[in-house]
Amino acid sequence: MRPFLAACVATVVVGAVGYFILNSIQEPAGLAFATDGARTNPSWSWRTAGTRPGAPQCEPRRVWQWFFVDLRRPNAEPRICSDSQ
Amino acid sequence: MTMATRSWLVLAAIAFVIFAAAAPAVAQQANSVDPNAAAVKEQQLLQQFHRIQGLGSIPDTKSYVIEQPMGRVWRLLHEVYLHWFGTILILGLIALLLAFYFIRGVIRIEGGRSGRTILRFTSVERFTHWMCAVSFVILGLTGLNITFGKDLLLPLIGPDAFSRWSIMAKYAHDYSSFPFLIGVLVLFLLWVRGNFFTAVDIEWFKEGGGMIGHKHPPAGKFNGGQKALFWLIVLGTVGVTSSGLFLLFPFYFTNILGMQIAQVIHALIAICFIALIIAHIYIGTLGMEGGFDAMSDGEVDLNWAKQHHPLWVEQELGQARTTAPAAGAKATTPA
Repeated sequence: MRPFLAACVATVVVGAVGYFILNSIQEPAGLAFATDGARTNPSWSWRTAGTRPGAPQCEPRRVWQWFFVDLRRPNAEPRICSDSQ
Repeated sequence: MTMATRSWLVLAAIAFVIFAAAAPAVAQQANSVDPNAAAVKEQQLLQQFHRIQGLGSIPDTKSYVIEQPMGRVWRLLHEVYLHWFGTILILGLIALLLAFYFIRGVIRIEGGRSGRTILRFTSVERFTHWMCAVSFVILGLTGLNITFGKDLLLPLIGPDAFSRWSIMAKYAHDYSSFPFLIGVLVLFLLWVRGNFFTAVDIEWFKEGGGMIGHKHPPAGKFNGGQKALFWLIVLGTVGVTSSGLFLLFPFYFTNILGMQIAQVIHALIAICFIALIIAHIYIGTLGMEGGFDAMSDGEVDLNWAKQHHPLWVEQELGQARTTAPAAGAKATTPA
């Protein structure tokens, strides 16, 4: 079963490489589909919507969090942050 | 009444007639703002132009398309016909396999295990196969979620959990396409030589692959069914990969209509692909005794090999005799 286990690891590794390749090719939507004059604010697009004014901003998830599907809520941020990311 | 006065009166009368004639038209224009009438005009526009598109000042040119009625056709295909197609194909195939299992039963090794094994697949072949398999299972489950998740999973786990799962599934689907494609490419290079159809395969198909009855048609390393599977997987991979590229890179290569077509093609091929692999998994595990050994240990029982791939066994043992006497098959403890 060693080839099977190695294949599982390889799937994760190649998938991670795919993540970085895709991110290097594609622009975030906030940049790709806007201009300097009409810029979509990425911090807004990371869903501050739903939180009250003055409430702590949602922290965008890191690469590794996305890859390992770690959608915990750091710094006790509101639940909307996890739901919307 | 003087001549001049009479002339003014005539002019005034003419002017009155002109204004009187023009007034209803103006009044009619002012009252023509009828929402229903406007909708009719919009419908006519859509029928004539297939989409309503304007001009914009931001680089996102796709946002210039205000309405695209083909989207409704796509939605109908995606939400209705694709569901029926997928349900009938996948559940129908599972029902057929169950029927086959209960009628035909497990295809046993005639004469039982010999205790001697022969190497069927190397570590590299098994590694690549399993990389394809693992990534395909991820692709299949996450892909089915896109089509059926809303109907099957959402009512069970609720909108919050379903949203979270669907986001994860979407990313997993995107990234696991890479190991799958690489795996299929490597398998293609490893196995293409042995998968060209020959006259032996025609005989194999004529005999129904030995599925019915207990007669076993001749086969080399890969029998006719495995060769058909190989080429279907290659074609299916080309299909899902090329259509998937349009979806992985939205608006890079085509517009919204092209992406809708790509999505339908992608989903149709993928559902056929899933059905094909379900049949492959059945025959490799439940359906045939000793078949799974080829991908778990890499070595199969000699009796199994002689029963299902006699020409390959002859070839292997013949090569082993010429290179190293008494090699080729090795004794193991019978299972």
